Amino acid sequence: MRLPGALALAALLILVGSCGSAPETSATPTQVEAETALTCQCGCGLTVHSCNHLNCSSAMPLKAEIAEQIAQGRSLQQILEHFEGTYGEKILSSPTTRGFNIAAWTVPFIAIGLGGILVGFVLWRWRRGSAASPAGPAVVRSDADPLAPELRERLERELRELDR
Amino acid sequence: MGEIGRLAIVLGFLVALWGIGASVVGGLRRNQGLIASGMHAAYAFSALTGIAVLALLQLLLARDFNVEYVASYSSSTLPLQYTIAALWGGMKGSLLWWTFILATFNAIVQLQNRRKNRDQMPYVTATLLATGAFFLSLLVFVTDPFERLPFTPTEGSDLNPLLQNYWMTIHPPSLYLGFVSTTVPFAFAVAALVTGKLGDAWIRTTRRWALFSWFFLSLGNLFGAAWAYVVLGWGGYWAWDPVENAAFMPWLTATAYLHSVMIQEKKDMLKVWNMVLVILTFSLTIFGTFLTRSGVISSVHSFTQSGLGPFFLIFLGIALAISLGLLFWRLPLLKSRNELESIFSREAAFLLNNLILVGIAFTVFWGTVFPVLSEWVRGVKITVGPPFFNRVNAPLGIALVFLMGVGPVIAWRRASWTSLQRSFIGPVGAGVGTGLAALLLGAGNFYAIVAFSVSAFALATVGSEFWRGMRVRQQMMGEAPWTALSRLIGKNRRRYGGYVIHVGVVMVFIGIVASSVFRIEIQKGLTAGQAVEVGDYTLRFEGVFDESDSHVDIRKARLSVWEDGKQLGEVLPEKRFYRKPEQPTTEVSIWSTLGADLYVVLGSYDTKSGTGVFQVFLNPMISWMWIGGFVLVIGTVICMWPSYAERTAEATSRVPAGSRTAT
Repeated sequence: MRLPGALALAALLILVGSCGSAPETSATPTQVEAETALTCQCGCGLTVHSCNHLNCSSAMPLKAEIAEQIAQGRSLQQILEHFEGTYGEKILSSPTTRGFNIAAWTVPFIAIGLGGILVGFVLWRWRRGSAASPAGPAVVRSDADPLAPELRERLERELRELDR
Repeated sequence: MGEIGRLAIVLGFLVALWGIGASVVGGLRRNQGLIASGMHAAYAFSALTGIAVLALLQLLLARDFNVEYVASYSSSTLPLQYTIAALWGGMKGSLLWWTFILATFNAIVQLQNRRKNRDQMPYVTATLLATGAFFLSLLVFVTDPFERLPFTPTEGSDLNPLLQNYWMTIHPPSLYLGFVSTTVPFAFAVAALVTGKLGDAWIRTTRRWALFSWFFLSLGNLFGAAWAYVVLGWGGYWAWDPVENAAFMPWLTATAYLHSVMIQEKKDMLKVWNMVLVILTFSLTIFGTFLTRSGVISSVHSFTQSGLGPFFLIFLGIALAISLGLLFWRLPLLKSRNELESIFSREAAFLLNNLILVGIAFTVFWGTVFPVLSEWVRGVKITVGPPFFNRVNAPLGIALVFLMGVGPVIAWRRASWTSLQRSFIGPVGAGVGTGLAALLLGAGNFYAIVAFSVSAFALATVGSEFWRGMRVRQQMMGEAPWTALSRLIGKNRRRYGGYVIHVGVVMVFIGIVASSVFRIEIQKGLTAGQAVEVGDYTLRFEGVFDESDSHVDIRKARLSVWEDGKQLGEVLPEKRFYRKPEQPTTEVSIWSTLGADLYVVLGSYDTKSGTGVFQVFLNPMISWMWIGGFVLVIGTVICMWPSYAERTAEATSRVPAGSRTAT
């Protein structure tokens, strides 16, 4: 593989990865979207939507408050800002895309991207090394029979013996 | 008995110290007496930790509440199986259990290698004993499992009710087996680095151990997911909790290793990278143990906060410094003749597979530690929850499954255009066809359509490999289809077992995608006789009834399950009220089919109005995850089963040299 090809592959990987890198916002949030974007404060470690305590003292009031906010016509962003203002950043189930938190979203993809470039570079060097080295044994194509007929016959005979 | 246990761990610690010293000095001076002494110390260490485990078990079974651990994690009414499981239910017991498993593995390694790898064995022994000694030092000096209370409580506090589930008896042991066994390849890697014998010997020796470790990490993760699914009652199985992540990360790096090591075996390449992966996998198991026991990151799974965190970090630092130092020192010897004939080769596909696996591991690590980083940098606590991990990992997971389809059929060294066409035209057709079918059937989610497409592609490539191999045998040997298939697998267990594992993993992946994207969720209050529709099913509330024993009071709701006007059966979700500690828990009831799980939770029941509040989930294709787990087990057994040649070699090595010549 040529180096540009490897870089293109790495770029494709980053592109594929970036499909999921930014949290989406919606003008008319559903209850589930907003509940999923918030963490329950009861200690269950789950989102408000997934909290496993049906009568949870944290999730139930939060769900009611979300419904109230939606009824007031607020966007998801506005609802999240409201809860962040009341409870602090820890209530959001994902890091924001502001300040230091940008690192949470970008570092994995930068790391994988750099890894991709490194892999591309390694492949390129290996490919170059292979081209520069003296002729080795003939390339065995997966679609060709590498064995002469007499060797094939012997192999089959010995395999049959082995099977017994 | 407590005194015997305490004596055993103290002696075990001293024996381990002696074994480390004797092995290292013996190895350096080639002193066979000291090397043998180190080996005997490994056996003694195993026996002593075994005695300590039996002592703690006996104290639990005897309900000796004067022992702090017994009083904290059991009670006089705790059923036998959970009393045994309490052995690993608390932090002290779990550390002892860990040490015992490691000591047992150490003894097995000594037995397996009594006639081979003699140059490396002193350092293998020393590394295994050093890890064991570290764990035992915590029990001897910091957190004694045999600690006695100044008084004897009349009753114990009991095991956490959430842990009183049959999965508790198998999930932690599976995970521990997976975690602890990563130490064996690590020890052989260290020994190879110390001795400079960096050929394939250490890799061949540890091949089964690496697979064993990967297998139990896989099972541990799947069992944990199943446990969360049936116990926690939120309809899901994976919440990207730090402790779940701690178990997932070593699985990812171990999977990367199992693939990249094939390149070293076939092409003598990636020697440094394989060392790095072995070191990384071991380090991640220690990091996971640190996470669960330090209290640094809050998790529902964690043991109670303790002061053990710094000890784990120090041990991790030392292990990393020594192993990476040795690796750096031996870099000149690890140089490979790296050549690649074509980017269209299995080597390149495996490299990309490694990139994605390690990339996911890094992403999970980053998301897990980011709250701590945020607190350090900004002084603000934040949460990194499931939405982050799902968003970041979804595209990576899809890319990984795609490569699972590419890897098996692309040739080593160079794939010709003709072979690529022949190998991929069918699977690509299957993938595109599945994607179109999903679209036409109304699967509107982009990720789900792509995920189903690549899954079909991966399954088709594996299927085509089996089909072509079988056809070749039929034509050449004149074998019947079934004989051809079984002999095809038998002749190359590792390759075809690996393919079976791929099928299992893809099934798990399909189960995850379908159950995450197409889940239906309803919460409804019902009185007796009322019904609720969930997807194609109708659930009718029939009433409640109570059961009770000395340990727990149970309220069960009975709901009949209907489809197309026909009653299929009934589900019985429960509310349990444990006596000690006084804690209510929810027991879900699941009507499971291959197509979907009807998952019913009894939230509450008001006796005055006779109204039960139910949360009902319809989780599509979730059983594919568990069936995929079984397929994975079958594949691993095929891989690990010794070949005819290996069995013959083993049998020959057991026959004394003299008797061989005599016959």
